[in-house]
This record gives sequence, structure tokens and C-alpha cells, in this order.
Amino acid sequence: MSSRGEQAQPGGAQQSPAPRVREVAYALAVRTALREEMLRDERVFLMGEDIAVYGGVYGATRGLLREFGEKRVRDTPISEAAIAGMAVGAAIGGLRPVAEIMYCDFLSIALDAIANQAAKLSYMSAGQLAVPLVIRTCAGGHGYAAQHSQSLEMWVTHIPGLKVVTPGTCADARGLLKSAIRDPNPVVVIEHKALYQTTGPMPAEETLEPIGVAQVAREGGDVTLVSWSAMAGVCLEAAQELAAEGIEAEVIDLRTLLPADFDAVVKSVRKTGRLVVAHEAVTYCGFGAEVVAQLTERAWGDLKAPPVRVGSRFAPIPFAEPLESYVTAGKQEVMDRVRTCVKG
Amino acid sequence: MARPSTQQLMSLYEDMLRVRFFEEKIDQELFPAGLIRGLTHLYVGQEATGAGVIRALEPQDYVLSTHRGHGHCLLRGSDPARIYAEILGRRDGLCRGKGGSMHLCDMETNFVGCNPVVGANLPIGAGLAFACKYLNNGRLTAVFFGDGALNTGAFHESANLASLWKLPVFMVCENNRYAISVSVERASAVIDLADRAAAYGMWHETVDGMRVWDVWEAASRAAEVCRSHQQPVLLVCNTYRFVGHYTRDTLRYRPPDEARDEFREHDPIHLAERQLADDCAVDLRQLVDLRERVKREIDQAAEAAKQIAPPPAQWALEDVYVEQG
Repeated sequence: MSSRGEQAQPGGAQQSPAPRVREVAYALAVRTALREEMLRDERVFLMGEDIAVYGGVYGATRGLLREFGEKRVRDTPISEAAIAGMAVGAAIGGLRPVAEIMYCDFLSIALDAIANQAAKLSYMSAGQLAVPLVIRTCAGGHGYAAQHSQSLEMWVTHIPGLKVVTPGTCADARGLLKSAIRDPNPVVVIEHKALYQTTGPMPAEETLEPIGVAQVAREGGDVTLVSWSAMAGVCLEAAQELAAEGIEAEVIDLRTLLPADFDAVVKSVRKTGRLVVAHEAVTYCGFGAEVVAQLTERAWGDLKAPPVRVGSRFAPIPFAEPLESYVTAGKQEVMDRVRTCVKG
Repeated sequence: MARPSTQQLMSLYEDMLRVRFFEEKIDQELFPAGLIRGLTHLYVGQEATGAGVIRALEPQDYVLSTHRGHGHCLLRGSDPARIYAEILGRRDGLCRGKGGSMHLCDMETNFVGCNPVVGANLPIGAGLAFACKYLNNGRLTAVFFGDGALNTGAFHESANLASLWKLPVFMVCENNRYAISVSVERASAVIDLADRAAAYGMWHETVDGMRVWDVWEAASRAAEVCRSHQQPVLLVCNTYRFVGHYTRDTLRYRPPDEARDEFREHDPIHLAERQLADDCAVDLRQLVDLRERVKREIDQAAEAAKQIAPPPAQWALEDVYVEQG
């Protein structure tokens, strides 16, 4: 694990002096990564719906058309199968495509190219082909109802050959995206739509965040609270409030789900003896199940209490605010489950 | 139409013979002997389309194929013994036994590979063409697909984008009249499949896919338009598979005499022989000698492949990810 912005190895927890930072919006952090990588490597190009002239529905690609031109920043028709499939071909042909699928709900339309093609072509060809592409998409509820709000990371974490990252901070939105673009494998970057306009610290210097390394977002000795994406921030807030009650939660932001830094989770639970995993996806068959399974297989003897999952209820995401709040896991659920886990 | 050059027609004829013998060996010997796992789709009857198109390409061009891709791979120049080894699941196969019949790939010949998800190779081909245009490397990308793929959304999305972005992708529709068991008449609202190209303002042509010289001429025109004008083209080759969709096909969806009649009247190899004899005055003896030579070559390739060991189990976990270089 690493403190924010530091290069580190899986499971190697330590804190280091904070680097020089500035406060930016998450969307700007994404744009910074894209811009830096496009300046560094002429093979990098962007394609997707409304990313060029409009600058992306969340502004993450604003200004890039003007800076890099139509050759490298390309609006596409509404053709998700072709966006993802062409990214596969362009990657085989020597480019570094960054393709945007506007909402992860629409991965359904692009999934053949991602799961059957990009993920498997290197393997099936015994290494003759490489598919270094990035799919940028976003998850999470924000008043958009059932078909624009899901957290579908499990659709892609189940596929050998893919990498999946879920940045929950501005530093990671830049640093993980940069690593994804340089990775020789297909990487799905799942951003969070509720974060784009929020601000947070980002290192002033160009920083790469390693894929596959978790981060201790907060230290604590009573319970290990594992999360990722926007929910990691929710867990941090929950941990601050729980501290007032005398519960010290260690918050681990996994940041990357495939590969995931389970070593960091095991190491923390060896200290705390308790595990709560929180995510915005539906609890049933959510990635939390994998975290709990890995932990119980490797550190059963260290557990003082049964591991706990916190996730959304088993329903599509509804529209009206009280309905969405009821279905979607949030700070209150996290705090309740942590209390139960710690106090029994 | 120009009178065929004897030398070129002989080359095309030899190409077709190689594919025919290669596939017949599977159909009559390797598959019945239980040497091949899973699914195998044979190209018997469609040789003229692959031979004519691939001879019209340059070595640096990319070729993408389908589940019925042995012929394309062979025509592109892969070692037949290594193709057989892959189909048999042996360690020296093109893909070290990881792909099999439906996932042949040989980047030494720029054969990007077979793709058995019908239609999926069209956006990939458009993406390769995009890369070629972006890098300005003069290559074109040929994508083979069947009549069935024309009904996928992937075809329409790719055709629209390729035309919109003027991508040098050469779409080759091998219309063998059946998508597994469903005939074109029962699957497509338009019977003249090249009409599909008109919707996207795409250059298109339809050719008798059983006449290799005609295919070669049409493919040469298409490749020229595609390369020099940097735009997509659709060539529809009307052809027919004399065998089943796959090696266990019961063929209950076709009239019993259909394949026999087609073979008698339109076997592309026989048509080429007649053309060689009538238009090029090639001696029958020469054709017989060539057949025997190619047959021997294929027999030897199959024998060589049979001697190769299967891959060790631990290879199964290699190549899941590409190491950072």
C-alpha cells in the first residue's frame, strides 16, 4: 500500500511525506492524465460519444480537441460495439486507443469486443497479438435511474486478460489512468459520475499510480474497512465519525480490482481482526464477496468476527431520491455495519 | 474481360488445390480418426473466394477471418504443418495449441486471425484500418465474413464508421447462402447483399465466387479503390459450401441434391481446370502433376503435425497478460 501519490509494492504499507499537491476537480484530473499521455506518446488517441466538440458529458475531455486536433480526438456516432471493437483493432495496429463508453451500463453493448476479443486475443494467439487499449467509463448512482446508475465492475473483473481500475480520488483518477494508458494490456477504467465535479488534492508533479496496489487511506486498529471508487471516500467520512465513538477503522482503498491487492487486506486484518467491505454495487455477487473469500481463505485464524459486506439492495436503481437512497449503500449503512462488526 | 494469364491462373488453381486437399484431409481422415476436438468448419467449395482475394493483397496487408478460416490462413502463406498442429492441439501449432481451428493466428503473414464470434471481426478490421491510416503506412485490412455477419449490428456500425472516416478496409462477404442452417432468403430482407453497402455510400461489387479468375479481377479492383482512395469497399462473392457448416452437420436444412448439383456445375476447381484447358491451352498432364505434388505436400504436412506432442499443461497459464516491455 502507499500513501497518496507514492509508488509502492503490493502489501507494503507505509506512510511517507505528502507530495506537493493542488486542489482540482476529478474531471480535470482525468483530463490532465489524457493530456499528459497524448503529449508523451503520439500513438495515444481518444474516441467516444460527445468527447470532442462537446468535451465529454462530464467535461473530462474539454479542450483536448482544440489542442490535439480531429485526428486524435474523435467524436463517434452512437455505436458502442464499433467504438470498443475499433479500439481493439487500433491497438493491434500499433496505436494506444482510449475509448470512452459514456456509462458503464452501456458496456453491455460493447462487451463482446472487451470480454471476448480484447481480453483473449493475446492468449489465444500465444502472445502474437497485444491489445493495449483503455476503456474509460463511469459508474454510480446520481439521480439517473436504473440504466445510467449501475456499478458493474463485476462484469469485467470476472474476465481473465482484463485489468480493472476504479479511482476514487483525484490523484488516482490521473495516476491510474496514466498507468492504464501505458499498460500493454486492455484496461477498463471505471470512474464515478458523482465525483467528476468534486475537488480533491492531486500531486503537482506528473505521478503514475501503480495498477494492483491498494492504499491505506486511514490507519486504525479496530476494524479494516475495504472499499474503492466513490465509496472509499464515503468510508473515510464514516471512519471519521466512528472515531468520535471510539472505533478506529483502517480504511483501505483497493483502487484496482483486477489485479487486486489482497495482501494489503490480509495484512490489515491480521492487525484489526475484523473486515467490513463496502461498495456501491449490489451486495449479491459483488466484488465484496471476492474480498471476503480471499480474506477468509488466507486469514481465517486472525478473524475475531465474521466478515461483513455492505452494498446496495437487490433492486435496480430507482429514480426518486428517497428510493435511490434506500437502495444504494451509503455512509449510514457503513457505520451501522462497522458498529455491529466491532461490538457484536 | 481480359484473357487470363496462364501463370497467374495456374497459381490461383494451385492455391485452391492446396486448400481443398487440406480440408478434405480433415474431413476424411483427421476428424473421423478422433484427432480433432470440438468444432471444425471446412472451406470446401469456397476456395475461389479466398484464393482470388488473397492473391490481390500485398504481404503487409492485414487479413481477418472467420470460424471458417483454415483456407484463409493457408492462402496467406502459413506453414500447413503448423496449421494442422494447431487444429490438432499440438505444441508447435501456430498458437501453441491455445486457439485451435477457430482461432488461428499468424502474424508472420499478417494473418490477424480467425474470429468465430460472427461479425466481431468487422469493427476490429475497421480499427486496424484506422491505425493504418493514422500511421500512414499504406496497408489495407481485408475482413472476410459470411452472409450471416451482414445481419449483425457490428457490420452496420463498422460500415457506417468506415465510410464516415474513410478507412481502408476491404470487406469481403463470402455469401455461401446459409448461416449455419438459415438461408439468406430466410434471414435477410434484401437478397442482393451488396445493397447493404449502398446505405453507407460504400463502393461495392458482386462477383461469381466460384470463378477464381473473376474473383481475383474484382478483388484487384476493390483493393485498388480501397488503397488508393483510402475508403472502405464491399465485395460480395456468391459461393457455396459443399460440406456442412461444421464436421457433424446433418444438413437437414438443404435439399438433398443441392450440394451435388452445385458441385457438378460450379466446383471452383473444375471451373478453373476448364478455363486453363480452354483459354490457356494447358496440358491435362500438367494439371495432374500439380495435383499430385500439392496432395503429397499436404499429406506430409498432416503426417508431420501428427508427430508433434501436445503442449505441456503449464502453458495454460502463460500469455494471459502481456508483460510490460
